[in-house]
Amino acid sequence: MNVIGWALAGAGVLAGLGVLAAVVAPRRTRPAYVGAATAGIGVAGLVMGVAALSGQAFQARLPGLLPLAGVRIEVDPLGGWFLAVTGGVLAAAALYGIGYAGGGHGPSGRGVQAALPVFAISMLLVPAAASVSTLLVWWELMALTSLLLILAEHRGRPAVAQAGWWYAALTQVGFVAILLGLLLYAAHAGGDSFADLRAAHLSPALRGVVFVLVLAGFGAKAGLVPLHVWLPRAHAEAPSPVSAMLSAAMVNLGVYGVVRVGFDLLGGGSRWWWVLVLAFGAISALYGILQAAVAADVKRLLAYSTVENMGLVFLSLGAAGIFRAAGAPVLAGLALAAALLHVLNHAAFKALLFTAAGSVLRATGTRDLDALGGLRSRMPATTVLFAIGALCAAALPPGNGFVSEWLLLQSLVHALPAGGVVTAVAMPLAVAVVALTAGLAVATFVKALGVGFFARARSEAAGAAQESPPMMLAAMGVLAAVCAGLALAPAALGPALSRAVTAATRAPAGVVGGGVSLRLAGIASTLSPLLIAVAVVVATAGTAVLLRLAARRVTRRRSVALWACGAGPPTARMQYTAASFAQPLQRVFDDVLAPETDVDVTPYAESQYLVARVAYQARVSDRVEDALYVPVIAAARRLGRLGPVLANGSVHRYLAYGFFGVTGLLLVLAVTR
Amino acid sequence: MNRTASICAAVQVVVVVAGAPLLVGLMRQVRARLEGRAGAGISQPWRDLRKLLRRAPATPTGTGWAFRLAPLLLVGTSLVLAAVVPLLTTASPLNHTADLFAVVGLLALGTVTLALAALDTGTAFGGMGASREMTILALVEPTILVAVLALSARVGSTNLAEIVTTTLNDPLRVASPASLLAAAALLIVVVAETGRLPVDNPATHLELTMIHEAMILEYAGSDLALVELAASMRLTILLGLLTSLFLPWGIAGASLAALPLALAAFGVKVAILGIGLGAAEVFIAKLRLFRVPELLAGSFVLAVLAVASSFFLA
Amino acid sequence: MTDTSYPLYLDLAAGLFLLTAVGVLWRHQLAAMIRLFALQGAALAAIVAILGVHQHSLELILVALGLGVLRAGILPYLAARALGDSAAEARETRPVVNVAASLLAAAALTLLAYAVTQPLVALAPSPATAILPAAVAVVLIGFFTLVTRRRALSQVVGFLLLDNGITATAFLAAAGVPLIVELGVSFDLLLVVLVLQVLTTRLRTAFGSSDLDELRELHD
Repeated sequence: MNVIGWALAGAGVLAGLGVLAAVVAPRRTRPAYVGAATAGIGVAGLVMGVAALSGQAFQARLPGLLPLAGVRIEVDPLGGWFLAVTGGVLAAAALYGIGYAGGGHGPSGRGVQAALPVFAISMLLVPAAASVSTLLVWWELMALTSLLLILAEHRGRPAVAQAGWWYAALTQVGFVAILLGLLLYAAHAGGDSFADLRAAHLSPALRGVVFVLVLAGFGAKAGLVPLHVWLPRAHAEAPSPVSAMLSAAMVNLGVYGVVRVGFDLLGGGSRWWWVLVLAFGAISALYGILQAAVAADVKRLLAYSTVENMGLVFLSLGAAGIFRAAGAPVLAGLALAAALLHVLNHAAFKALLFTAAGSVLRATGTRDLDALGGLRSRMPATTVLFAIGALCAAALPPGNGFVSEWLLLQSLVHALPAGGVVTAVAMPLAVAVVALTAGLAVATFVKALGVGFFARARSEAAGAAQESPPMMLAAMGVLAAVCAGLALAPAALGPALSRAVTAATRAPAGVVGGGVSLRLAGIASTLSPLLIAVAVVVATAGTAVLLRLAARRVTRRRSVALWACGAGPPTARMQYTAASFAQPLQRVFDDVLAPETDVDVTPYAESQYLVARVAYQARVSDRVEDALYVPVIAAARRLGRLGPVLANGSVHRYLAYGFFGVTGLLLVLAVTR
Repeated sequence: MNRTASICAAVQVVVVVAGAPLLVGLMRQVRARLEGRAGAGISQPWRDLRKLLRRAPATPTGTGWAFRLAPLLLVGTSLVLAAVVPLLTTASPLNHTADLFAVVGLLALGTVTLALAALDTGTAFGGMGASREMTILALVEPTILVAVLALSARVGSTNLAEIVTTTLNDPLRVASPASLLAAAALLIVVVAETGRLPVDNPATHLELTMIHEAMILEYAGSDLALVELAASMRLTILLGLLTSLFLPWGIAGASLAALPLALAAFGVKVAILGIGLGAAEVFIAKLRLFRVPELLAGSFVLAVLAVASSFFLA
Repeated sequence: MTDTSYPLYLDLAAGLFLLTAVGVLWRHQLAAMIRLFALQGAALAAIVAILGVHQHSLELILVALGLGVLRAGILPYLAARALGDSAAEARETRPVVNVAASLLAAAALTLLAYAVTQPLVALAPSPATAILPAAVAVVLIGFFTLVTRRRALSQVVGFLLLDNGITATAFLAAAGVPLIVELGVSFDLLLVVLVLQVLTTRLRTAFGSSDLDELRELHD
């Protein structure tokens, strides 16, 4: 039993201890023990992942653990990549959660705390599963425990219960799709384990059906439009440590599922599958970032940004599949490497952003950007950490988002000679979508950082905020350091990335290390983020020094009142709010967003012409939800109203149902024998 | 080889820093003469910079590190861009660190720091300038990247020096429809990114019509000098990028001896482009903010047509 | 002209042909749309003339001259007269699809045209067939203009673009239509524009505007 095996066993033991601590420990210390156990599980996952990526492998079979099929575990480099990402996020978020729970914040009930270690271990076992039944069992366990975690604060806020309903419904819909697809596959393959599935021969039509079902199911978990409607609600209403885990670790498992089934088990498939993936990825990316750009609730903004980033990952996966079907394995490896790297980068900066937003929520009690502001002076460390996360999320150099986006663009830009009309039409459109998404992401995160943290406080709660306790800052600092490392030295991941891509597609990755710069195999483009960052820092510092020398005789910097074009002392209410910042974008994309405004005029009772009160409400709701889900829910309600017709209370009717059911069945049997 | 490359890059940076205010002065002088005024002379921007450097900078109450850092970072990114973009020479030590995507990213980084500084002031005009600038930045990105696709797909690399060298070796490609369409699209992009007419009026004094000027209303003294210098450097670098991509004749290789010719060629090309832009500005009016997306969508169509014609006409 | 510059001139003329169609979608002023249509007529005549010079065919050059006179001279003049002098009528203010979205649709239609005509181009690769996608794209863009613009005159300009595109496709793909068919179609176009001119003048004097959506109120 090698490192991976020991780490897995250790994770299992820690999960058990965590559940025990949740049940036994007193309320005050419960979050600390459970958090420590979860952090330990996270570290174990990280160790497993790193070991798998450096070439070790692990297989285990536990026939007794599950009835009928047993548990099969196999860790290969592809699974190892996702294990490492999940484990890292779990460790950091759990440490953050320990600090968050201090002072009575956060959930501390027995059920919720017991669910956390189980959630962690099930998230680790999904990438390690090597048979359909193992995958499905741990997937469903992960879904159930995450539902418990999301509903943690439902007594305080009614929106939490609604978020829980949406999440539960869509998770089950996704689960049914995955179940159908994989069971269909396993039935035709004659076996349950992934090895059997790989060796199976199915007709192209059947493979297409399996792929579409699996894409729907795993895409629902990853937040692919139109199955994304649970994500903004659930990630916004969950407690902040849980939000970080959901957005940065759980959605990646949807990507894992599609890569595993599409590339590894089904062996690549036909081109139309991947055109579908590319199209849905592009739509998700655009729609997600548009909704994020107009969102005023900071956690909802971050949740929609997750939809956008997962859309970009699916776009890369689609491109990889198309290139592979067109016979360009180097480009396919490059696109898949871009997808996997973006999963890692997104996990790092999204966890950082959610933990920073959680600190703000804990300190001010509000998530509304229009009520925040001025946190730069009250919470300086959190501001700097959020700024680092925002730089990475906006895909600007020298952030880490820029590196994975650069890889993706390189694979798209050099695809055109590879051929085919489909590629020639799809690639410019894909590049345009990635570019517009990147531009909108810049606008979104400038809004989040500028309106939420800079200038003056817009409400008393924001003006009275205190900096977070050191444990939370330490966890955020670790995440920021990881982001910086990924941004400046991405070439160090080259060998690990190659192994993961080769495990998925049996083709080379196309990313070559090369010291400080990132070099690509077969394409003459290089990028050196470290040197760019150093150059910018040196140039800026040099400018400061030269300025000091050139302006030597000038008197010192003065502190003056704001000029504001001579309009008098500006109040905090005169500042631009998040809604006003996003207003030009909202107007440009008016047809897509369909914002609603309501003006409610209440006159006095005595006279219709004397206005007592005017209320103005502007709202951007999720148009996909309104167009697709509201009619379905209305139809389901109408169907439900037929219920009393069937069950009207008469005992004779119920007995008659049974009688007619049995006699009808016997009649059918007799006729068809 | 490495030393000559460093010297070439250093000369490029110095030329851009020294020449940028002169370019802005030239454009203003052309505008003035065409409008019937005498104009202030080409070196007026340098005189303005000297005046501003002698004044004390001001920190308004309620601003923080974003406001203080933005002018420095803006000039810093412009200096890095001046060293990376092949204006005088294709041999720069930063050649293999940044390609066309990184150049676009660094330009965006500079704009973002200024927008954050504007939001940091907490005035309504700062917020207005920042929000408008971010909208235009978001809408310009698709055109830039699709034009980069059109330029680099033939060359097989997004490395700027490679693109310039390939164009130098095959001059007839410049007259192909793909190249002309990409040039037209990138010209509109340059106008949008540098805040010239018809997207933004750099000479306006009406705050409600400002985009770039609204973001820098609170700066004074040496801070303002840095911001103005950075804006003129970005204009010079972008016009130089246009000429390097589409009219690269005269750019030196790695030899120091060809530098004076390259300098003269660069000066002439950028001056002609600047005079053309300045003259055109006399005849155009500023577009309403909500007509700018139409202009940018039109430039996007030109870029898509460039890609389509380069791959279907090949 | 030499063999190397023939494809270049043809490409430039085709590029101008397509760009004027995009320009008609872009501009708001009806007078500018008519000027762009005239420019497109000149580009079409140039394409046919270049083909004629390359194939040393006098008939093609004469057809090109006739096309130029009709589509770059007579039709735009008549359309401009139909425009009248009233300034209130001179703009396309609120098309059914706004200008930015129309331009994106034009890009998508161009890509569609390129994708769809690939098999045709592959049948007989030559510089003339290589610009066939541009002609089909103009057909689609003209159709789109016809569908999404509100003013009667802009719809007619769209219809004329459509016909320009069909003519260009005919010349590039089939080496021209018979002269008699071309004469007949041109006569029809002339009649369309003359009738439009009379109709818009009568409409304007009777109702004050020729906005087609407002004309729907006549249906009572």
